[in-house]
Amino acid sequence: MNAASPPASGGFIADWRAAAADWTLTAAPGWLHVGKTFGAAILVLWLAMRLELPQPRTAMLTVFIVMQPHSGAVLAKSFYRIGGTVIGSLVALSLVALFPQEHALFLLAITCWLALCTAGATRNRNFRSYGFVLAGYTAALIGIPTIDDPSGIFIAAVTRLTEVSLGVIVSTVVSAVVFPQHVSNSIPRVVRARFTSFVEFVSDSLSGRIDRAGIEASNLRFISDVINLEAARSMGVFENPEIRLRSGRLTQLNSDFMAVSTRLHALHQTLNRLRTRDHAEVRLVLDAFEPYLREIAQQLNPAETPVLQASDAGAAAHRLDLFRLALPARIAGTRVALTTQEIGALILLDFDTAAELFYRFVDELHAYTATYASLAETLPPVGIATRPYVPKTGLFATTVSGLRAALALFTVCFFWYATAWPSGGLATIFAGVVCAISATAINPFRTAYQMLLGAIIALPAGAVAAFILAPQADGFAMLAVVLAPFLIAALCLSTKPRWAGVGIGFLLFFGFGAVPDNPVVYNPVGFFNDLIAIIIATGLSAAAFGVILPPTSGWWLKRIVRDLRQQVVAACIGRREEVKHSFESASRDLMYQAGALIEDRPDAQQVALAWMFVTLEVGHAMIELRSETAALVAEAAFARQGDWPKPLWTLRDDMVRLFDKPTVANRRRALASTATAIAHVQQKAGDMALAPLHESASGVAPAVTEAKLPGMTDERVEPRLSTTAATVATALPVRQRQRLLRLVSYLHFMRSALLDPRSPLPGGGDFRETPIGEPHAS
Amino acid sequence: MPHDITLFGAYVPVLLALFFGGVVLSWLLDRVLAYLGFYRLVWHPSLFRVSMFVCVFGALGLTTYR
Repeated sequence: MNAASPPASGGFIADWRAAAADWTLTAAPGWLHVGKTFGAAILVLWLAMRLELPQPRTAMLTVFIVMQPHSGAVLAKSFYRIGGTVIGSLVALSLVALFPQEHALFLLAITCWLALCTAGATRNRNFRSYGFVLAGYTAALIGIPTIDDPSGIFIAAVTRLTEVSLGVIVSTVVSAVVFPQHVSNSIPRVVRARFTSFVEFVSDSLSGRIDRAGIEASNLRFISDVINLEAARSMGVFENPEIRLRSGRLTQLNSDFMAVSTRLHALHQTLNRLRTRDHAEVRLVLDAFEPYLREIAQQLNPAETPVLQASDAGAAAHRLDLFRLALPARIAGTRVALTTQEIGALILLDFDTAAELFYRFVDELHAYTATYASLAETLPPVGIATRPYVPKTGLFATTVSGLRAALALFTVCFFWYATAWPSGGLATIFAGVVCAISATAINPFRTAYQMLLGAIIALPAGAVAAFILAPQADGFAMLAVVLAPFLIAALCLSTKPRWAGVGIGFLLFFGFGAVPDNPVVYNPVGFFNDLIAIIIATGLSAAAFGVILPPTSGWWLKRIVRDLRQQVVAACIGRREEVKHSFESASRDLMYQAGALIEDRPDAQQVALAWMFVTLEVGHAMIELRSETAALVAEAAFARQGDWPKPLWTLRDDMVRLFDKPTVANRRRALASTATAIAHVQQKAGDMALAPLHESASGVAPAVTEAKLPGMTDERVEPRLSTTAATVATALPVRQRQRLLRLVSYLHFMRSALLDPRSPLPGGGDFRETPIGEPHAS
Repeated sequence: MPHDITLFGAYVPVLLALFFGGVVLSWLLDRVLAYLGFYRLVWHPSLFRVSMFVCVFGALGLTTYR
């Protein structure tokens, strides 16, 4: 009920109307989903009986597994589900053909196949996982019942395939045609909300109005935003051709967003580290920076010029572009003003680093806004080759999940084999089903445990429905009436995220036990045997998830932190093109997994967040360092002196060592080599500055101003400044010098990340560098 | 046209093959219509797509089972 409805102004009717509006917004979608699923289930049951398929319940169970609130999700799931079913049937056929007389070998092979599929379902956390789940359990569903009658396998495979396909097709059509709920409708709203909240976050965090807890919360929210938008995009392409046309742009938008939020974090860290240092010169630097920060907040001020849709973003992008183009000259001016105030070389380096980060930030913010603006266009983009973000679970967790399933299945099989248990085959099938379905969940143990609860409730409920109510029902309509209360109650339960596992478990096991076959048989003994076997199998799987390295225990966090650190190692030594694409999304994906698993342990979440920040900072700087160095090495003047980047490679090796094995000694060592590298590159930049500028002493003003800049301008701006032939001759060394200065700022940033007292690296808050020689002043 | 075809030694109704043919055909049609922006003029795009598939499949089926 809406507590905020106006009092007595419109009387009873107005209250009623407000409550109705409230209900339509909040509760109606859930009920619509329940109604549609129930309708589809009954429809498919009727169709399967009408078509005289032997197991109508299989088709109905398919509906329960496939139906989702959004049409696109059903289409996407169905696509992979049919693929998985076909593959599973083929595997069952070939396994039976391979071991027609060897039960033990056949069961071993099925166990291995199921374990493989479970591992695949854990590894791929998008719709592909349903393909794996289905491939695994269809093979078991078809193969195991025919173990004593291998010649029946072909008919079993064909009928099962028919039933599953019928379920998939009916649920797809019902979900798409009857009051379709499109996830694509929410995409513009999600994109807008994220843009607005990001802009707010920018102005809050840069002005220092927000504390560390707020920053952490916002970053976690942005991570889940990235993942949800990608999920919405991958569903949206299935349901709406307009989204399909914009799919590339949405991917681009996500990767732009990740880039700009990483940069914002780096900038914020740099400014914050400066703010915590109580030093008169540092204060000067911060004061010099203040106007820019205020200005960027004004550029995007949502109060004056709200960005309500993609076309508004165009104007914002234009303003940012103007701001960006004017920035290098302005910052150069500020820097000159600072140098007149006798500031130390190290503090000036702080300014240069912050300025470089700020320029890059504005550049990336502009790119993000421009991509947002481009969503208004309908034509497919040219030349956008961003790979979509693919959520993947780490290999170790994948292996554990596969082995866990293998062990659970093996135990059930062994018990079946050793005791000649009549329901052993069914138990094996359902152990496989529960393992595979839980493996796709973010918290497998909870899902498996809830499915066990569902199975336990399904036993009495199924008995009542099948042996007290159903015999009194006459005809299909009465059967539907008998099933309705059970199915609708369980469906309602499955829409509540907290109890979804119980709902799904109940639907599957109740459907399996209580829905009649074709022709109907009255077989209470068989029913109880089946349900008891199901409960044992589900309990065993839940126990396997709870006992064998459960993801909620400490090892998982350790593992994720290790994987995060390995991202830095990959950023240091991986293939450059590859790493550029995968680094941002892979680090966030790891954090997302950590966040989802340890949501009830805030301390663990903070540990993971701290590691993600240090990973993003160092890894990102390292990637940029590598591309700058590669660009420099490619240029003629540097190619001749092959060993000049040697200190940089030493630094890279030290970073690899540090993130492979974080110890205080390694941290100190990496820090020392950062300092050496800074000195080396500054030296180089000093040499470069002297030679070419002497030659061009004829005084080309823009080039000289530029040379003073800390590597701010990039190639896109440069041609505007230097167009004459005279400047072109000097432009190359200037660009090289800028690259060198940019290198210095990346190095300095890495150094400050290593020195950060809040860093999770060993050494604690009072970590100090060992004294080194004062870096060469630039 | 015969009503059954043999696929690896098993009789398969021609309708099944036509069903898959119809899926591919409507998918192609769907992409063309989406590219032309036709769906912006349609009230209920999914209903339109389903109906289009029914038409395509029906037309294919009727040519065989006349």
